[in-house]
Amino acid sequence: GRAKRARSQKPCSLKELEVTVTDLGLGYESEETVLFKYCTGTCEAAAKHYDKTLKNMRKNKMIKRGKDRPCCRPLSYDDDVSFLDNYHEYHTLKELSAKECGCV
Amino acid sequence: MIFANILCILLFVEEILHSLAGHSSLSGPGGHDWRTPVDCVKANEQCGADSTCSSRYRTLRQCLAGKDRNTLLTNKECQAALEVLQESPLYGCRCKRGMKKELQCLQIYWSIHLGLTDGEEFYEASPYEPVTFRLASIVSVMDLNSSKENHCLDAAKACNLDENCMNLRSQYISTCTRLVTSTDSCNRRKCHKALRQFFDRIPSEYTYRLLFCSCRTEACAQRRRQTIVPSCSYEDKEKLNCLVLRRLCRYDHLCRSRLADFHKNCQMTFQTRTQCPNDNYQACLSSYSGLIGFDITPNYIDANISSITISPWCTCKGSGNGEEDCERFLKDFRENRCLKNAIQAFDNGIYVNVSPKKPSVPETEPPNNSQKTQESTKATIDSNSDNVSVPPTCINIQEKGPKFNMSKEHIFCLPQTDIPMLPSDHSGQESNSPFNEKSHSNRIHSTSALLAISFLTLKLVL
Repeated sequence: GRAKRARSQKPCSLKELEVTVTDLGLGYESEETVLFKYCTGTCEAAAKHYDKTLKNMRKNKMIKRGKDRPCCRPLSYDDDVSFLDNYHEYHTLKELSAKECGCV
Repeated sequence: MIFANILCILLFVEEILHSLAGHSSLSGPGGHDWRTPVDCVKANEQCGADSTCSSRYRTLRQCLAGKDRNTLLTNKECQAALEVLQESPLYGCRCKRGMKKELQCLQIYWSIHLGLTDGEEFYEASPYEPVTFRLASIVSVMDLNSSKENHCLDAAKACNLDENCMNLRSQYISTCTRLVTSTDSCNRRKCHKALRQFFDRIPSEYTYRLLFCSCRTEACAQRRRQTIVPSCSYEDKEKLNCLVLRRLCRYDHLCRSRLADFHKNCQMTFQTRTQCPNDNYQACLSSYSGLIGFDITPNYIDANISSITISPWCTCKGSGNGEEDCERFLKDFRENRCLKNAIQAFDNGIYVNVSPKKPSVPETEPPNNSQKTQESTKATIDSNSDNVSVPPTCINIQEKGPKFNMSKEHIFCLPQTDIPMLPSDHSGQESNSPFNEKSHSNRIHSTSALLAISFLTLKLVL
């Protein structure tokens, strides 16, 4: 995990991928293609005193658990996505894609 | 005697000159000629600024309120008001689909035209401006690298990858599939509204592909039939009589206008090769999609891949003595060759490159596709035009506007009749295209100049 994170130096940002609804793995069967937007990238630059302190505390074994760096996560989600499945029924998914990303 | 004759001729010439001058002054002010009719909202503003016009318009509206046409015409004041208004910009005004204040525009249109026509006419004049852009422009922006399997699936993909299309599509789907808990059914009114927004706001390059995709499998045809979420927007517990449905539609200015537009642009005619008015497929498809989201919403009745049948959700049972009218009304949907040819031509236009064997051909004339070149795939609908005797007219799209992002060599060759025609009184061959129309009016000018010269010469002789 650490090695991978170190390799991708790009800061946290929004990316897109064209996938079929079946590929989403949510149990729906549909060949319809949708645009999946997600957040990815590093958050090193966004470290606050909180993160730095937490890291030091962990290093000094003063705290056992705790995530010592901010995460790249959606700040808001895209509008609903509707599709027709292979059995000719419509479904609507809420909060499927990210709209805006940030380090939290 | 000779003198009297000359006098006669002079008077005659003068009269002609007067009438010509009168003609040119009619189209003069405001720079609006018949090709771009004023929209009714603007015309109403113009009329409001003119005291005579506005008072007559008020009178006419009072005349029409609660009275039928015959009582209107027996009242002298009403008749006078109508005559004055026929000279005003209000008379020839039109509306645009999806324009700002569309409903207001249509209300103004019908406020005059209901007084001019008998409300019970089978077909009514359309309040919409003629559709002038071509199917060619739509097809050219579509990608041809699509799966051979399911064109309707490709259409859904294209829409999903466009933000606006995806948002409005999801909006109507979620609205039309949401069940109201108390009644355990959907909210049809909201569903219709969401569908109208989708078909009015999203460019036809997306919406037509979803509506008119060609299918070779039943799964595909099912998907095509499901496009408008028929369980909510189309089907109902029982079928109304079609004439009742039409009457309901005519109570609503928007529905009435869309229906009139459909009848104008999809009316089957035997005078053209495609059986569509002016061979204009685009206009027919456009007014068909304009009916979706109203009482009269049409759809594919089944997922049959060998033949397309379209109908509104109504029946001719219980028509009584109106059965003939009812059948005629229903036939304009179910057995309309113009509509079917337009739908099939749209399919063929897109996928002519992908599928060498066509899944279906227009029912009237199987087109000869043996000598397909790359150009003809781009020239769209006119897979069929190869074997037509009408000399083609070539239009360089580049000249028509910068919004088509294409290189110069894309020249569209269409049969002459494919250039949209606009309503005009002179039905000579020259008036077939707007381009020729210009020369037509030029000729009037030169004739009037000639007459003026001869008039002067005569005067000099005297």
